[in-house]
Amino acid sequence: MSEKKQRSHKAEMVIERLGQKLNRQVVGSLAACVHCGMCTESCHYVLANPGDPTYAPAYKADKVRKLFKRHYDWTGRVFPWWVKAGSVFTDEELEELKDTVFGKCTNCRRCTLNCPMGVDFATFNRMTRGLLVSVGIQPEGVAVVSKDQWEIGNQMGVLKEDYLDTLEWMEEELQDELEDPGVTIPVDASDCDVLYAINPREVKYDPRSIADAAKIFHAAGEKWTMPSEGWDQTNFGLFSGDDALGGSVARRLYEKVIELNAGKLVISECGHGYRSTRCEGSNWAGFDVPFEMESSVLTMLRYIKEGRIKVDRSRNTQLVTFHDSCNNARSCGLFEEPRELLNLVCENFQEMYPNRAENYCCTGGGGAMSMSEYTPQRLKSGVIKADQLKETGAEVVVTSCHNCVDGLSDVIKHYEIDMEVTQLVNLVANALVIEEKVVVPVEEVPVAVTADEVPVAAALEALPLSGRVIVVADDEPDQVEFLATVLEDNGATVHRAGTGDEALELARREKPDLLTLDLHMPGRDVGEVFEMLREDPELEDLKICVITGRPELRRLIYDRSVRRPEGYLDKPVDEANLMLNVRKILELAHEEG
Amino acid sequence: MSQTLQEDTSIQINQCVVRLIRDDITDIEVDAFVYYAQHDLALGSGFGGAIAVRGGPSVQKELDEFDPLETGGAIVSGAGNLKADSIIHAVGPRFREEDIEGKLRTTMINALRRAEEKGFRRIAFPAMGAGYYGILPAVSAEVMLDVIKSHLEGETGISEVIICVFDTPQFNAFQSTMTNLN
Repeated sequence: MSEKKQRSHKAEMVIERLGQKLNRQVVGSLAACVHCGMCTESCHYVLANPGDPTYAPAYKADKVRKLFKRHYDWTGRVFPWWVKAGSVFTDEELEELKDTVFGKCTNCRRCTLNCPMGVDFATFNRMTRGLLVSVGIQPEGVAVVSKDQWEIGNQMGVLKEDYLDTLEWMEEELQDELEDPGVTIPVDASDCDVLYAINPREVKYDPRSIADAAKIFHAAGEKWTMPSEGWDQTNFGLFSGDDALGGSVARRLYEKVIELNAGKLVISECGHGYRSTRCEGSNWAGFDVPFEMESSVLTMLRYIKEGRIKVDRSRNTQLVTFHDSCNNARSCGLFEEPRELLNLVCENFQEMYPNRAENYCCTGGGGAMSMSEYTPQRLKSGVIKADQLKETGAEVVVTSCHNCVDGLSDVIKHYEIDMEVTQLVNLVANALVIEEKVVVPVEEVPVAVTADEVPVAAALEALPLSGRVIVVADDEPDQVEFLATVLEDNGATVHRAGTGDEALELARREKPDLLTLDLHMPGRDVGEVFEMLREDPELEDLKICVITGRPELRRLIYDRSVRRPEGYLDKPVDEANLMLNVRKILELAHEEG
Repeated sequence: MSQTLQEDTSIQINQCVVRLIRDDITDIEVDAFVYYAQHDLALGSGFGGAIAVRGGPSVQKELDEFDPLETGGAIVSGAGNLKADSIIHAVGPRFREEDIEGKLRTTMINALRRAEEKGFRRIAFPAMGAGYYGILPAVSAEVMLDVIKSHLEGETGISEVIICVFDTPQFNAFQSTMTNLN
C-alpha cells in the first residue's frame, strides 16, 4: 500500500497546506537550525523542566522541520535518514503535534533572539498551529475564542448591547467621580483626531481601564471616539495561526477608522493586540492602512510631554516593577517609552531582571490563558517568572498587556506572592491632576452638621447598598470575610456560605438580591448549584456574580442551558472593583440616574 | 424565471427576493434564521453564544431533546426572546473535510426543506461554513446561491431569502456571485 493511501485525510490536508505556507522566512528558519542548543536555556519551559528535553525549542521545531524535509526539501527526499525527515499519517499524530505547538510554547520569541542562526521558531510554530486549526485540530479554548471572534466580532463574545451599556455605565461613573456631567465617552463620532480601540477583557472584567482612559482623554482635551462595532483591537488569529481570522479582525478595525474618518487609531494596552493591529494585520488582510496607529502608552506619554495633562507622581508611592510584554517589547520594540512614562507617574520604580527583550514570558502568551488543558504545565513554567517577580521586592507589577495581567495574576496566586498587577493607564489616571471646578454658592448655605448629629438611620440610607441582601458563597474564610466586610460597610445585609449547599439554602431562605458564587467549593458541584438557583421560580430575580480564581472552571456555568450569571470577577478582587461591579449588577447607577 | 440585480444587492428569482445584508444574524426580524450547528446541537460560542444570551435558556433546552445530527441534517427550534420566530439548526461540513461542496449542498437543501415544512416566508442564512469553519467565502457563495436559485425556481412558499454576513471578504464574495447570477 502506498504512503498516500495510509495517511488520514486530515494529515493529507496538513501536508498539502504546509506547502502553501512556505515563504522565505519560514523556509530559512526550517533549514537553518544547526542544533547548537543556544535556544534551550532561553525558554522558560525548559528552565522550569530541566529534565525534560521535549520542551527544548530545537526539539519542538524538529517535529515540524521533519515534515518540511520529507515533503518539500530535496535533502529529505534523497537521504531522509540523514536529515531526520519524517511525516504524519494519523489524526493521533496530529493531536500530539497540537500538544507541542499549543501546549509547550507561548510563541514568546525569546529563543529566536538567542539563536545565532536567526531561526524564528515562534513564526513556524504559529504556522503549524494554523495548519492544525485548518483541519479542526485545536484546543477547545482556542475553538471557543476563535468562533466568538469570527462571529460576534470580539474574542470574548461580548454582545454589542453589553459593550455599549458598559461604555454608558463607565461614563456615568466618570461623571460622578469628576462631578462633571459634561464628561462623555463618545461613540461613533465622526472626524475625531483619535479612535480608541480596546481589548474585550476591559469590557468584561476590567471596565475601570476604559474609564481611566476616558479620564485621560478628557483631561487632555482630546477629540476622540470609540466605535460601536469593530472595536476589538485584539486578534486571536495571531495565536491560532489562522491568517484569515487575523485579516478579517484587523480589517474590521481599519474599516471603522476609515468610516468614521478618524485621524489616528490608538490601541489600548495589549501586547498581542498592538502587534496584530499595528504590525501584522495589514499583511494578513492585504490592506493598505492610510492612517497612523499608536499604542496608548505613547499617547499618554505624548500628552504629558506636550503639557496636555498634568500628573503628580506622589500619588503612586508603592514600589513598582515593570514586566515587558513579549509582543510589545521583543516583537515591536516598545522598551523605553513605558519606562519613561512609569517614571513620570510613579515615585518608586525598580527594574526586574532580565528585562526588555530578554524578559521572560508571563506564561499567558500565545493564547495560553484560553487553553485550560495545559494549565498545570503553564503554571509549572511560571516558576521562572515568579522568581523574577519576587527578586524585585515590588508591591506592584505594571504591564502594558491584558494577557500579561491575567498571566501574572495567575503566577502570583499560584506562587503566593504578595503583589498586585496593574497597567499604566491605571497609574496615569491615578496621578492625573484635574483642576477642580470652583463652585460659587448662590443662595442656600447648608447648615453644618457634625458626624454625631447625623441620625444613624439616615446615614445608613445614604450607603449605596442599604436595604440590599447579599449571600457570599466561598470556601476560603478570608475571602468570605473580605467580601462580606466590604458589602456590609456599604450598607448590605450579608449572609455567609462556605459550600454550594449552604449557598442554596441561604438563597432560598433569605431571597437575596445578589449571590456571589465561587466556582470551586466542597460538596455539591457548583455548576449544579448554579443551575438549581436559576431554575428555582422563587429566585427568578436573584442576580448572581461569579467570583473565581479558577477561570478554567467557567464552563461549569456557561455551558448550562440556563440564564447566565449577571456578573463575573477574577480573583483577587479589590474593594473598588467589587463595588463597581456590584453596583452595576444591581443597576444602582442607573436607578440613581 | 426573472432575476434583477438591484442597488441594495438583491436579486429577484420568480416572486422571491434574495437580499445580501451586513448585520448580526441573531438580531434580525425574520421567520427563521439558519444557525450552522454542531453535531450535538450544543449552542457553544459565536452565534451560538449570542442565541443563548439573547434568546434565553429555552433554546438549548429544546435542543437537548433532539438526537445528534449527521452532517447535512437540519432541525427547527423556537428562538426564545430573539427577534426571529424560529431557528433552523443545520449541520454543515467543516474544516477542510472531504466533499465540502457536496455536503454543503445537502445541508442547504435540508435547511430549505425545513423552512418549507414550517411555512416560513422570510428566512436568513449566514455565509454557511465561511469564517470559523474555514470554507472559502467564494465556495460558500457559489454553493449557497446555486441551491437557493434552484429551490426558488420551483414551487415555494418562501418570499424572501436574506444572506446576512459580517465581514467585507464575505460580502464581496456573495455580491460578486449574485452579480454573476444576474
